[in-house]
Amino acid sequence: MTTYIIRRLLYMVPIVFGILLLTFVLFNLIGGDPAIEMAGKGATAETIAEIRAEYGLDKPLFLSWDSQFINHFKNALTFRFGRARDRELITDKILRGAGPSLSLMVPMFFGTIAISISLSLVVAFMRGSKWDTLIVVVCVAGMSLPYLSFILFGQYFLAYKLGWFPVFFSHDLSTARYVALPVIIGILAGLGSYLRFYRTVMLDEMRADYVRTAFAKGLTTSRVLFQHVLKNAMIPIITQVVLAIPFLFLGSLLLERFFGIPGLGYLMVEAIGARDYFVISAMTFISAILYVVFNVITDVCYALVDPRVSFD
Amino acid sequence: MVNDNKLARYDIDAIRHCRFDWMINKHGIITLLLFASMIISSCGKSPQDNGTQEMVLYSALPSKIRGLDPGDIGDVLSATVAGQIFECLYQYHYLKRPYELIPQLAEDMPEVSADCLTYTIKVKKGVYFTDDPAFENGKGRELRAEDFIFAWKRIADVKYLSKNWWIFDGRIVGFDEFREYTKSCEKAADVDYSRPVEGLQTPDDYTLVIKLTRPWPQIIYLLAHQPTAPVAREVVDYYGKDIVSHPIGTGPFILKTWHRGSYIEMVRNPGFRQQFYPTEGEPGDAEAGLLADSGKRLPFCDRIVWTFIEEDQPRWLQFLLGKLDSSAIPKDNFAQAVDMSQKLTPGMKERNIHLKTFRDPDTFWIGFNMEDPIVGKNKPLRKALSYAIDRSKSNELFSNNRNDLAYGFIPPLMKAYDPNVRDIGISYDPQKARQFVRQAERVHGGKLPQLKLSMPGTDTLSRQMGQFYQRGFEEIGLDVEVEYMDWPTFQDKLKTKGAQIFSLGWIADYPDAENFLQLFYSKNVSPGSNNFNYASDEFDKLYEKVITMPDSPERIALYRKAERLIIEDCPAAFLFHRVAYVLHHDWVLNYKPHAFQYGLSKYRRIDLEKRGAYKELLKKSR
Repeated sequence: MTTYIIRRLLYMVPIVFGILLLTFVLFNLIGGDPAIEMAGKGATAETIAEIRAEYGLDKPLFLSWDSQFINHFKNALTFRFGRARDRELITDKILRGAGPSLSLMVPMFFGTIAISISLSLVVAFMRGSKWDTLIVVVCVAGMSLPYLSFILFGQYFLAYKLGWFPVFFSHDLSTARYVALPVIIGILAGLGSYLRFYRTVMLDEMRADYVRTAFAKGLTTSRVLFQHVLKNAMIPIITQVVLAIPFLFLGSLLLERFFGIPGLGYLMVEAIGARDYFVISAMTFISAILYVVFNVITDVCYALVDPRVSFD
Repeated sequence: MVNDNKLARYDIDAIRHCRFDWMINKHGIITLLLFASMIISSCGKSPQDNGTQEMVLYSALPSKIRGLDPGDIGDVLSATVAGQIFECLYQYHYLKRPYELIPQLAEDMPEVSADCLTYTIKVKKGVYFTDDPAFENGKGRELRAEDFIFAWKRIADVKYLSKNWWIFDGRIVGFDEFREYTKSCEKAADVDYSRPVEGLQTPDDYTLVIKLTRPWPQIIYLLAHQPTAPVAREVVDYYGKDIVSHPIGTGPFILKTWHRGSYIEMVRNPGFRQQFYPTEGEPGDAEAGLLADSGKRLPFCDRIVWTFIEEDQPRWLQFLLGKLDSSAIPKDNFAQAVDMSQKLTPGMKERNIHLKTFRDPDTFWIGFNMEDPIVGKNKPLRKALSYAIDRSKSNELFSNNRNDLAYGFIPPLMKAYDPNVRDIGISYDPQKARQFVRQAERVHGGKLPQLKLSMPGTDTLSRQMGQFYQRGFEEIGLDVEVEYMDWPTFQDKLKTKGAQIFSLGWIADYPDAENFLQLFYSKNVSPGSNNFNYASDEFDKLYEKVITMPDSPERIALYRKAERLIIEDCPAAFLFHRVAYVLHHDWVLNYKPHAFQYGLSKYRRIDLEKRGAYKELLKKSR
């Protein structure tokens, strides 16, 4: 297993290189000159030139040991991302945003997974009944509604009209209090697609011989569903769950923006809007590293839950 | 396969009733518990309910501020926030209109030499920077005249990368040379700030002498502009680049927390010198209760909390819940707040909400790139495009009829505003526009090619506005493609002269029409502020003459003449001047809107009883 993990980690090297190259090339191809916007409304050519020099934008793109790409590469690998355009350290920004983002995304994600898997087992078990039909219809309706409408509706009725939750972040509130409503909205908005997917997975398992055998042996329904069916349905669930974990780090733009959660989703989108290449680059790099690492974890998990999968 | 499915289906149907009730109940209970715990945890006392008699001002910021280092402040929001911490030599009178400057850190108004080239300013004694570890023993030291010169030299220092060099460019004797010297320094640390500048002298700790290269009457406004606030050298040396997060000034408030992108909290500066609420205002102020606190010591509030709320819905709901003291009116909620006669609706009156309106010092336009081979060389085409825009409809559609329509670039707020400008200015006239199209085709020598309009935004409103303009141009037979882009891309296009037609505006830095005139001066073409790349010898001569003139009827006449020249040459189709509609709760006292809203929180007072009563009102309404 160790050899397997080391081998997979070594695969990361060209992938990370590719990511760094791709983000660098894309930004330089598509993006304009960030120094112009930084220089402000009364910009002079010399201020623009100094800004370029300060951020290393005046150096050659590739063909030099001191090129922009080599520096981009070195900074990323040493996690020294430098300063954002507002002159704050990027690592400070990321560290500050990671907590709020994760406190929103982790309960939302695992809440969605737990509820959708449980419900999918029930629905698959009741396949063809009116309950199944009703839940599928509700799921499809939920998937069809824009995410924004869940937010606007939830914020207006649950927070403003009924007063059950705070409408917006306030620095005097505990994290649990200001994150509660966005978490519930996130779970409800995401439930439809997850539930439909897991229902399909569960239905495939329900039709397998071992389920019939288990019932024939007199096992209880809950034991058959939660011990046997669930375990065998784990491969697609693991694929979806583990690979989604790195994205939790990126936060949720809309929820963060509407509820004032000072997380990384907003940071990333704001950086894109302001063309803060330094922040975009740092966030892309961290996300890519996390994605590759969690890919390895997914493979290890396959072997752990399914004896047919071997590290060889 | 079919049979297998049927069998599976049969088996599932047969067994699904066995223990299902138990499962539903167990999962249902868990789910209910989860939801209930979340709801219970989220209910509780709001920050305003903490039962203390602390006077706190709650406000929202519609977007993130960029920094609190005065030398690099280039946006209104940052200046608004920094204005509570930093003070300038002069400030705008809170109540008087037209806007009038009064001393703040200066002892008096400047002493100006007969040739208008030397300004002598006495700096107030007994003004202290707030305590900070940057100072010896952590105690803020007294403000000295050299703190101003240090702050301005930072702006001149090309290594500091300030956005504000435009303030001093070419104005002060020897200052441009200082800037040139900073260019020769290898690193920022190599710049010697003790290097003398002939035009900036401090004969003693409390006297500042400024020598100008030519008369510059607007200097007085810029000495009230946030970037010219004094900065203590010790603070810059102590914090280095982190100074952006450590604003240390002399103002009424101290930064307590700045959670970037989330909220800013300030507390009253315990060492703030004696400053008092104004004793006079304009007619009607006394009746409006704005002089009730005359002569009382400032500031009134103990704390200020600004929350960044970018979306309209949460900002509006927070205001209605009383968690914000004041709010602009979102476009979609306008009818809920203001009726057809532009008065408050009964719903708002029941909540004791007050409406205030005031003119912003701005002008918005569709600009033409005068260096563009199609648009720049074809005046009839520019006129056709200008006549094709239905400004009234646009005002109705996008601004709830709030704005003043623009016929020239000087906004009504300015003293130089010409009420007769509408007689010569361009307004919607599709017939005339079509005539100009025919002339434009003759000038062009055939059918006009497709034109490109650049819009500075990709959001819904930008797209709606872009489509509105496009439709107007189509109606007169012009084919205009609209390009929507983010702000940096848009800026890039403007500064590299790549935009053919563009939508933009200008918010004045001070209440003098000169701030608009410079937008058309040929020496300011892109990447400078003249994004039209307009160049006219006649206008330049007029501009160069008028900028050295003190305020007088003759200067006003020349401003208006310059405006007429621009209207005639048509480098832009002027659209509107914004009129702000602001709501505030009745517990906010001394609320008078101000176009240059820097450092106004010190005047505001909160009636805590009324704030408490609103909460009761809300409870009852639920």
